[in-house]
Amino acid sequence: MKNRLRVLRAEAAWTQADLAERLGVSRQAVNALETEKHDPSLDLAYRISALFDRPVEAIFDNAHRASTRGAPGDSQG
Amino acid sequence: MNQAINAPRSYSPSRTYVLRTVGFMLFYVLVSVLAIAGLFDSLIGGPGGWVIAVAVAVPVAAQVWATLRLMADSDEFVRVIVTKCFVLAAGTSMVLWTVWGFGEAYAGAPHLDGWLIYPCFWAAYALVSPFVRTSKL
Repeated sequence: MKNRLRVLRAEAAWTQADLAERLGVSRQAVNALETEKHDPSLDLAYRISALFDRPVEAIFDNAHRASTRGAPGDSQG
Repeated sequence: MNQAINAPRSYSPSRTYVLRTVGFMLFYVLVSVLAIAGLFDSLIGGPGGWVIAVAVAVPVAAQVWATLRLMADSDEFVRVIVTKCFVLAAGTSMVLWTVWGFGEAYAGAPHLDGWLIYPCFWAAYALVSPFVRTSKL
């Protein structure tokens, strides 16, 4: 799942280990999220959302929402 | 920004798992070495031999428990990775053992003792784990 986790973490000047500690997960889990090797559970997505104080969809792309997957007609306004 | 969703965890499930594994394996090796050294010769061949057989199997069962504890105590990513490795290793061992067993019956393959499936499982685990890097199927 595409996400902005690495960017948000960099903006906060956190290492993967820092973020992992704040989320209560392993550093491997943070790395897997950033490299799109793991799709977070709803619970973890909410934890990340709360940590960065942003909506879930501002961090993780919602491929099921037309506005984020380039539905036909998007370019026509 | 919210700085503390969860308190930092000092408890490491992986470290606990490694310590448990080392302990169980030492017990497994200890019983096996004592049996090979002849300490249980008076029991072998009689009903008492089952005590030795079960004693060697206890750390195997304990290892399964330790793996389940690791899965329960780890985060969701590690849990999936451990599950995938375990299933792949168990599946590989079962397939190899099935092939070899029927090889003994139908192709004259030399007999292998059943207890070898446990080291076979761990060899398979070591083989597959470097390739399991994603939680996706």
